[in-house]
Amino acid sequence: MSKSVWIIDDDEIYQMIIKKIITQSEIFNEFEYFLSAKAAIERLKKRAFPDVILVDINMPIMDGWQFLDYLRKEFRDELKNSLIFIVSSSIAYSDIEKAENYKEISGFITKPVNWSNLKMIENMIKRSI
Amino acid sequence: MANNNVKSSHNVFSRRPVITAVLIFLFLLIIGFFILWQRYQILIEQRLNEMSVITEVVEQNIAQTLKTGSSAALSLALQIDDNGDIKNFEEVASQLVDNNPNLDGVETVPDGIIKQVYPYEENKDAINYNILEDPDKRGEALKAIQEKKMFFAGPFELRQGGLAIIGRLPVFIKNEFWGFSAVIIHFDNLIENSGIKELGNGKYDFQFSKLHPVTGEEEFFLERSDNLDLSYSETINLPDGEWNIYVIPTKPQEPFNVLLPVAILIALFSGLFGWFIYYVLRQPGILSQKVKEQSGKLAQSELRFRTIFNQAAIGMMRVDSKTGMILEANQQCKDLLGYSDEELIKLDYRAVSHPEDTGTNTSMMEKLRNNEIREYSLQKRLIRKNGKYLWVNLNVSALWPKGEEATSHIAIIEDISAQIAAKQKLIENEKRFRSLVENSNEIILIINVQGEAIYFTPSLKRITGYDSLSLSGADIFSMIHPQEKESVLEKFMEANENPGTPITDVVMRMKTKFDNYIWVNATITNLLNEKSIDGYVVNLRDVTGKMEAEINLNKSYDFVMEQNKRLLNFAYIVSHNLRSHSSNFQSILELYEIDGNKDDKTCYINMLHKVSENLNQSLHDLNEVVSINTNLNIVAAPIKVRDYLIKSIDVLSLQIDRKRGKIINDIPEEMVVNFNPAYMESILLNFITNALRYSHQERDPVIKISAEKISDKWIMEIRDNGIGIDLDKYGEKVFGLYQTFTSNAESRGVGLFISKNQIEAMGGEIKIESCINKGTIFKILFK
Repeated sequence: MSKSVWIIDDDEIYQMIIKKIITQSEIFNEFEYFLSAKAAIERLKKRAFPDVILVDINMPIMDGWQFLDYLRKEFRDELKNSLIFIVSSSIAYSDIEKAENYKEISGFITKPVNWSNLKMIENMIKRSI
Repeated sequence: MANNNVKSSHNVFSRRPVITAVLIFLFLLIIGFFILWQRYQILIEQRLNEMSVITEVVEQNIAQTLKTGSSAALSLALQIDDNGDIKNFEEVASQLVDNNPNLDGVETVPDGIIKQVYPYEENKDAINYNILEDPDKRGEALKAIQEKKMFFAGPFELRQGGLAIIGRLPVFIKNEFWGFSAVIIHFDNLIENSGIKELGNGKYDFQFSKLHPVTGEEEFFLERSDNLDLSYSETINLPDGEWNIYVIPTKPQEPFNVLLPVAILIALFSGLFGWFIYYVLRQPGILSQKVKEQSGKLAQSELRFRTIFNQAAIGMMRVDSKTGMILEANQQCKDLLGYSDEELIKLDYRAVSHPEDTGTNTSMMEKLRNNEIREYSLQKRLIRKNGKYLWVNLNVSALWPKGEEATSHIAIIEDISAQIAAKQKLIENEKRFRSLVENSNEIILIINVQGEAIYFTPSLKRITGYDSLSLSGADIFSMIHPQEKESVLEKFMEANENPGTPITDVVMRMKTKFDNYIWVNATITNLLNEKSIDGYVVNLRDVTGKMEAEINLNKSYDFVMEQNKRLLNFAYIVSHNLRSHSSNFQSILELYEIDGNKDDKTCYINMLHKVSENLNQSLHDLNEVVSINTNLNIVAAPIKVRDYLIKSIDVLSLQIDRKRGKIINDIPEEMVVNFNPAYMESILLNFITNALRYSHQERDPVIKISAEKISDKWIMEIRDNGIGIDLDKYGEKVFGLYQTFTSNAESRGVGLFISKNQIEAMGGEIKIESCINKGTIFKILFK
């Protein structure tokens, strides 16, 4: 069974790191990387939603929250089939609190992302299926 | 004394006015009637005289007529000859009758038989009438024969008609009776010739009577009124015919009637006079009654006044106006002064007066004595026997009639020491309160309904500099800052609706004389109902220091809040930014340890280098931000902006050329602002870089930098023709730290943040206007 994951983050270093980690974890067999939320939206318009989306909060032009608001508005139904995780270096309580108000958000992951984070995501995918 | 005079004038008459009046009435009446009676007698006598005169004349007239008749009869008789014939009867007769108006006819009566008559026609019926055979006439005829003299018979009805008297003269021829020579006198003619009618003149009536020769009764021949009373008559006896003639007054009561109105007048006058006497005599009685009443009252009122004098709660004394000696004093007066009666009456009023007050009193007294005034009053001090002063209200009134020489006066003394003391206390209180009010740091105003300040404390000048407030209402309100004017007026309205209730904490700015505003806290109290105030009392407290402190505090608070917000934001950014680097380090190192692959490890080391570079950059940025925010004492110096811009353009010339950009320097030469030079450099570089960075792809960047001075403040404008930014979407985030809105790799979200902070640190402001795809304008407002 193929599992797809999208990573949306403007930090190129992080992108390189997460790529390594995801590859090594072998949980997902499909993955795509976006340096901006805008690019991800363009892609969403062309293909089906991935199983998991990992999105950063602080990004130029469109931040994580704006991205989520857009999805809520434009892809209401498709959103239900995806697990969305906020991945941020922020440990600000306000951000965590805000994330809890989005029922579409499955979890809040504080950087750095590690194995155990991916394992949890895997478990949640299994449960949801 | 007047009493006795009145009494002595009392006599019998005045005591019995009715009897006196009646007596006088009767007396006058009797006198009047006595005179009247005499007058009446005179009138009666006059009438009798008149009547006797009339009868005399009548008698003479009748006698004349009869004499005429006699002579006519005699003349006729002489014509008779011895034979008893009359030769020329007609001629003689006509001569006799026609020449004598008293005669109506003649006849010859031989042997008693009427033979010849003249005038014939009238008397022919009597011819051959034998009078001696007529019983009515025979007597008289025989009487004439017997006495041998003329006798007038009648009056009787003639045979030929008409009432007449006949005078018959017996004619004897040779002593032998021949017959009669007779004359006829009509009765009417006789009466007419007697002059009765003319003489009577309406006042008298007449009657003619004769005793009937046969019957002997008195026969009346004239028509007479029934009411004629013969008792008033005068009688004439005519022996020739045995007649009586009566003269009778037609109005026998006339004298009485004439005198009756006079009698009434007399009676009336007597009555009136009697009444007048009664009235006059009664007056002393009434007067004495009144006097009695008055004297009773006088005695009563004197008693009353005496009692009042003695018992009055105010002091009264009678003083000799010339000498000033006290004549008498009442109990209260003695009590007030502490002297006994004997002591007081030996004293001069000046002796009990305070020396400071005697001057006024003496001059007033002088005026009183000179009749310039009738009374006066003043407040003065008296000296008691024990030497203490007593404040009194003194009322002095003259006791002598106006205009006459001064005798004595009455002085009414009222103890007013309590009032004076109270008044003194009131003045002191007033003084104390006034000094409290005037020396307080509050301004107290009383503003009347027209909005005029009718009172203000001296603190007004101390605090506002105004010597006085203009009396126009509008001016008072014009002193209030326009922003608070309306709310202050509302407070006045509120005060208006709540009289007596202070409206507190009316805070406003008030313009001073020096054209600046001070903050005052006012309390407005509507005391329009208070008679002594009749206005709004406004207490003004200068709270400028407090208000300024408050404003500064608020500013500081806002500033601190802003700083706090900034710090929170900063902390967030720092934590996020630095954590992102640290997490990257962590992740790379973890991967490094797991991956044994040499190529990979080299890659990880390169990545670590990159992360470290990024971290360095972040730290540099943060340092810059922190340095602006922390260093509050950055030196500002006058800077000629144009020179700095030229320098910046020079520094950036390579970048500008690369972008084929054009920079227009429109900064005026004279623009000099107080600014930190390093900040100015940084700001200019940042804005120009920004404009070049976000230039539009389709056109070469044109950046125009200009400045103008608006109300003493410089405004610099940086206008570009770049891509612009959606301000509706991003708004103030533009100036936020790490806020980037493009995918431009060069933008780190620090430049504008730093520039804004630098400008604000120098007390300036920055504003942005932008239009997508057209360009952006930044405006910097210098302090």
